[in-house]
Amino acid sequence: MKDRMKSYSQALWISIGSMIILLFPLIVSQYYQQLGCVAGVYAILVLGYDFILGRAGQFSLGHIAFFGIGAYTSALLSVNWSVPFWLALPAAALASSLFGLFIGVPVLRLRGPYLAIATLGFAEIVRLILSRWDRVTRGVDGIAGIKAPTIGPLIFDNTVSFYYIILFFLVLMIFIAERIHRGKYGRLLMAIRENELAAEVMGIDTSKGKIMAFVLSALYAGVAGSLYAHLFSYISPETFDIEHAIVILYMLIIGGSGSTAGAILGAVLLTFLPEWLRFLKDYYLLLYGIGIILMMIFMPYGIIGLIRQLRLQVFSNH
Amino acid sequence: MQHLGQMLANGLAMGCIYALVALGFVLVYRAVAVINFAQGEFVMISAFFGVMAATLLRLPLALSYFVVFLAMAAFGFIIQRLTYYPLRGKPHLTVVICTVGLHIVLKNGARLLWGPYPLSFPSFFRREPMEVMGILIVPQTLFIIGVTGSLFFLFYLFFKKTMMGYMMQATAQDPEAARLMGIRVDRIIALTFVLNSLLAGAAGLLLGPIFLVTTDMGGAVLIKAFCATIIGGFGSVPGAVVGGVFLGIVEILAAGYVSTFFKDGLAFGVIILILLLAPQGIFGEKVAERA
Repeated sequence: MKDRMKSYSQALWISIGSMIILLFPLIVSQYYQQLGCVAGVYAILVLGYDFILGRAGQFSLGHIAFFGIGAYTSALLSVNWSVPFWLALPAAALASSLFGLFIGVPVLRLRGPYLAIATLGFAEIVRLILSRWDRVTRGVDGIAGIKAPTIGPLIFDNTVSFYYIILFFLVLMIFIAERIHRGKYGRLLMAIRENELAAEVMGIDTSKGKIMAFVLSALYAGVAGSLYAHLFSYISPETFDIEHAIVILYMLIIGGSGSTAGAILGAVLLTFLPEWLRFLKDYYLLLYGIGIILMMIFMPYGIIGLIRQLRLQVFSNH
Repeated sequence: MQHLGQMLANGLAMGCIYALVALGFVLVYRAVAVINFAQGEFVMISAFFGVMAATLLRLPLALSYFVVFLAMAAFGFIIQRLTYYPLRGKPHLTVVICTVGLHIVLKNGARLLWGPYPLSFPSFFRREPMEVMGILIVPQTLFIIGVTGSLFFLFYLFFKKTMMGYMMQATAQDPEAARLMGIRVDRIIALTFVLNSLLAGAAGLLLGPIFLVTTDMGGAVLIKAFCATIIGGFGSVPGAVVGGVFLGIVEILAAGYVSTFFKDGLAFGVIILILLLAPQGIFGEKVAERA
């Protein structure tokens, strides 16, 4: 009986939550519609980052580069050859994952600080190419006029309609991620994260596992990049710099790495928080940094970690 | 030929500064196995301290250098207490992310304190170049090479001849064993952070007069220090020095003979090449995993 009550209340919360998410763009201002879209894109991006950082435990700082490659692939296809969004998105995902494969094979042999610095280097080189290769990427001016998605006569050129496209992809990507993490391959990644040496001794092909995680994370970043490009219809290299690499790292860490809910929570929170804290002006970044340090000291496993800990305490009291 | 000599001298001077920062980087890495992403900001803070001491307090330049060293020692200690100390024993990733937070705090704190505009740093010397052996050199360049050279020699003596140096090496090798030998590991780690802060401080004071002092200077320095460390092999002290000097010279030559585009991307290009071809660097030990 008690169990049934619990599952009813759970179902109630889930339906209230999905109602809010579904109706969100219809009840808020255009500014918040846009923020909602951005949060969704970052949620997909961070969900992908979780594959390599949270699940496989590899400290890569290059995720932002795959986001950039996805966004530029999609934008160039759309602007130069008028490729429709529904083809440009899979092409962007493919391009990003191919780069993931090329970079992953040599880089993932490295460990610890080497891996972090090599991937940071990769991200910086990609950014330099995007901002200096004027003939193709149009340099720091960026690419404008990226076309909106269409289905037959429907054109998704406003933030409300685009919100639902992003939501569709977010749900799809969550579904795929959860399927993977709950399956055999998810366990394999966990084994690599917890103890790579032991995993190898148990007969796991750790290199293959890590490269697959890298490719998957790049694929997610490619999808997010394509959505980003078509959402704003304009992209420029500064969206893909090291500052943004740090932001997505914090999204995952603050939400709680190694958890789908954590990745989404972190992405949404860190999209809205800077807007809510606008009144702090110049002090925002300072307080943000202090917040990160305090968080690492007092709740190193993020918001999801804190929730789990509180739950555990509540249950053990009974 | 004269042109080449000039470039080599300038490259050597820049390389010496990279080497100073990379050396501190390696010391901290060896002591606590953490990459310090706030390393560049230490250099920036020290340069601003220098400007403050010389222009705001109007101290004579030599005295203001001394004041900056004291301030940097205190700064290193405080930072260690506030960020590293509470995180002892936590996973490395946690500590590394904390240093990224520190990078943001220091950079933006400095911007609030000193504003976004570049400040100029007073120098001992005139800005006009002088002729040495047929090469035109700015006096500050020679000063940098001389000062860093002697600092490296002092460090060598410290590690090879003093008890404290031995204790620091023991702690880096195996903290548990060092503790059992009666070494106060926490104190040695605090001392490592102070030394690192002093090295970064020296780099800031030497770099200040060449360029303008800005709150953004830390990022570039950090990347160069990364690169120098990778070239030399992570965790190797002589490697950091050689790597820094090597990077400084290669960078100047690439900018002079190829294009400035390569100068910015070069550090990372070198990093990736080295990691692909010889991941352990020039002096590094082979990376083996401890079971």
